[in-house]
Amino acid sequence: MSPSLDYERAREYTDALEGRLVDALDGDQGVSRRAVLGSLGLAGGAALMGTGGADDGHAGAGGGESHGNFGARGEFDEGFDPHEFLRTFNTGFDGQDNLTQEVFEEDGERVRYFELTAVDTTIEVAPGVEFSAWAYQGQVPGPTLRVTEGDRIRVQFTNGSRHAHTIHPHLKNLDPRMDGIPQNGPGVLEQGESFTYEWKAQPAGVHFYHCHSLPLKAHIHRGLYGSIIVDPDPERVRERPEEYCDFHESQITPELTEELVARAKSRNHEYDENDEVQELVVVMNSFDTNFDGGNEVYAANTRAFAYGVGETDGKGNWAPGETKRPIQVDGQRPVRVYLVNATEFDLINSFHTHSQFFDYYDHGTTLLPTNQTVDTVMQCQAQRGIIELDYSDHEPGLYMFHAHQSEFAELGWMSFFEVV
Amino acid sequence: MQDSDTTETDGGVTVQDQPFGLPRWAVAVIPLVLLAIVLGYLFLGSPFAALATGGAALPDVTVSYTTLPDDQTVLVHVTNNGPGTVTVEQVLVDEAYWSFSMTGGDRTLGPLESSTVQIPYHWEPGWDLEVALVLSDGATIHHTIVAPATSPGVTGEVVGTLAVVGLFVGVIPVVLGMLWLPYLRSVSDRALHAVLVFAVGVLAFLGFDALVDVGEFMEAVPGAYEGPFLFALGVAGSVLVIQAVSAWQESRTEGETSRLRTAYLVAVSIGLHNLAEGLAIGTAFALGRVELGAFLVVGFLVHNVTEGPAIVGPLARGRRPGIEHFAALGLIGGAPVIAGAWIGSYAFSPTLGVFFLAIGVGAILQVVWEMADLVRGEDGLASIGTPVNAGAFLFGAVFMYVTGLFIAL
Ligand SMILES: [Cu+2]
Repeated sequence: MSPSLDYERAREYTDALEGRLVDALDGDQGVSRRAVLGSLGLAGGAALMGTGGADDGHAGAGGGESHGNFGARGEFDEGFDPHEFLRTFNTGFDGQDNLTQEVFEEDGERVRYFELTAVDTTIEVAPGVEFSAWAYQGQVPGPTLRVTEGDRIRVQFTNGSRHAHTIHPHLKNLDPRMDGIPQNGPGVLEQGESFTYEWKAQPAGVHFYHCHSLPLKAHIHRGLYGSIIVDPDPERVRERPEEYCDFHESQITPELTEELVARAKSRNHEYDENDEVQELVVVMNSFDTNFDGGNEVYAANTRAFAYGVGETDGKGNWAPGETKRPIQVDGQRPVRVYLVNATEFDLINSFHTHSQFFDYYDHGTTLLPTNQTVDTVMQCQAQRGIIELDYSDHEPGLYMFHAHQSEFAELGWMSFFEVV
Repeated sequence: MQDSDTTETDGGVTVQDQPFGLPRWAVAVIPLVLLAIVLGYLFLGSPFAALATGGAALPDVTVSYTTLPDDQTVLVHVTNNGPGTVTVEQVLVDEAYWSFSMTGGDRTLGPLESSTVQIPYHWEPGWDLEVALVLSDGATIHHTIVAPATSPGVTGEVVGTLAVVGLFVGVIPVVLGMLWLPYLRSVSDRALHAVLVFAVGVLAFLGFDALVDVGEFMEAVPGAYEGPFLFALGVAGSVLVIQAVSAWQESRTEGETSRLRTAYLVAVSIGLHNLAEGLAIGTAFALGRVELGAFLVVGFLVHNVTEGPAIVGPLARGRRPGIEHFAALGLIGGAPVIAGAWIGSYAFSPTLGVFFLAIGVGAILQVVWEMADLVRGEDGLASIGTPVNAGAFLFGAVFMYVTGLFIAL
């Protein structure tokens, strides 16, 4: 299992914040500790940029100055943990417990083997709001598969859902039978059927896999999608550096080649250089909970406002919640976000960082940025890319990031990094 | 006479032998017990499971009305009229998730349970506000608050103002209209009948008007309350009750007082109608639509002047009743506007609206019947369908239509 955020620490932090607030008010007009603690959950101020909602009963009507607070009420139940999902990569060597995976050599090739099952399930997309999903391995997004360029990806797919499904990979795939569409190869797989897909891991980058059964909109929007990350192979980069940047072969200097190889090592999970980077997977998705063709929930990794703060007074006093809390990052180490857009029904989605600019690698297929020093990128559906952030010169604290479609932000795609 | 061969008599009824020698009470109870068993089987055994489509009943939540006590609070009054419980998990205001709380402790509503969703939200007067409740299964209940404005709170001042408004809309015009009585007493039978039929035209218009209003409220009545049935019940109930009261009165009095009785009945039916007018005015003020309320006041005022002669028409012949009767008639016909305005501004619900209007329609139906009798005369020979009467009926309806335009404009 990859590291997830420490619940204990979140709780301690909440206690510390509450304690600080109580101390600050101690002896002041005889405010009782209980009253202060009770009102900490009360949403105050017209804090558009302060997410989090009041707990039950705290945001009383006619509550004096209260303008209320945007954000979803309450916390999520147990189950899928978007914080754990962020940092969970299934490499065949290592990954999540409920995914059968292994790595072995076969005919001189390295095979990364995974067993994926599609099931009908129910997921929580906003606190208390359930959505009947169709999901690979019972989770939305599906497991993140991570391999090295040139490997063979073997996915034994079993359909345990009442509906017919496939897996279609966004990879350069030379065998039409493996495209995962109804018209080719095994076609759609009915309930109980299995098929083993095999794909060559190419090109390097961050990719998308999804069900390609009809109606396509329904099968994607219900949750049948995930990411495949293909790490660049530094040896191959050294041999063909021109394939990993915009420069022509004739323009490649030995220095540039070394630079590209170094970048490849930083991107490849099998190299020590990669350990230095804090890598995160963010799948932008959305849910039409009432099936009217428009989304009620937008999210980064399924749960609305999951990377927001638990409680805020809109005046800078905030506390992490049990399930809704910022993504903690170490400010002294680089942050890399593998960003995938799985939003259905909307033409585009976007990623915007506050107080920060980043380098962007469209589709992640190059080792030099395709967009340099930007604070907003947009992606159409199935588009993806890699974002590289550096917070080393920022003060510790909360830094927001969100879709800069303000509608999406207020409907759940609103998040924070907590730089420590 | 007692025959030793047959069974005993019980209060003069010959008692049959009960089957299997069971006591009589047991025979009476057995069908009830069997019914209970059948019902129990239906509820517990679900014998019709094979007919189920597998789909759960869709949640059915109605937003009855909204109140805006101040510019940073939105109160949404909701009723669950589905068969299952629903939970309001999230609230969207103008397509953004927003903090909220609900009265009654939790956010779960049982069947027919009502609650108020309190949303701290700084709204802009005049800018439509879209509120959506997101239920646990993701279903959304949308409600648009058109041109939001602060709802008046319950203050003595508002209560007093509404009473004065009611006085002007109801009592004063009705009493003004009743001042035509001396003139009515001086006209011919033919002319008087025309006046009575004119009143029927007025009532017919009001009845039709009530039907239109019922149609508007009906959509907002929570499904479980069965709006159409409630309406039918109200109409039939008021016809029957007024008819019963009227027949009972008639059995105790002679012809002379039957005219006064009819006048009272007209006053009651017009009063019920005016209650609905009061509801409309009160609701307009409650929703913060003060301009609309003011228009309604002027419109209803003009409109209601015609109700006076309708009430006193039956008294144009025979002995003139005492002044106390005129005071009572004026109050019965006009004062319900005040009560309606109070109810409308503080406790309005579409369900209540439908029920009041239904009572009004029933009263009108019954009164039209009584008026027809009056025109036919004691001997029942006078014709109703004379050209003059037909013209008077149409004139009454058209007159109401024209004065009604004041309200619509
Ligand atoms: Cu922004």
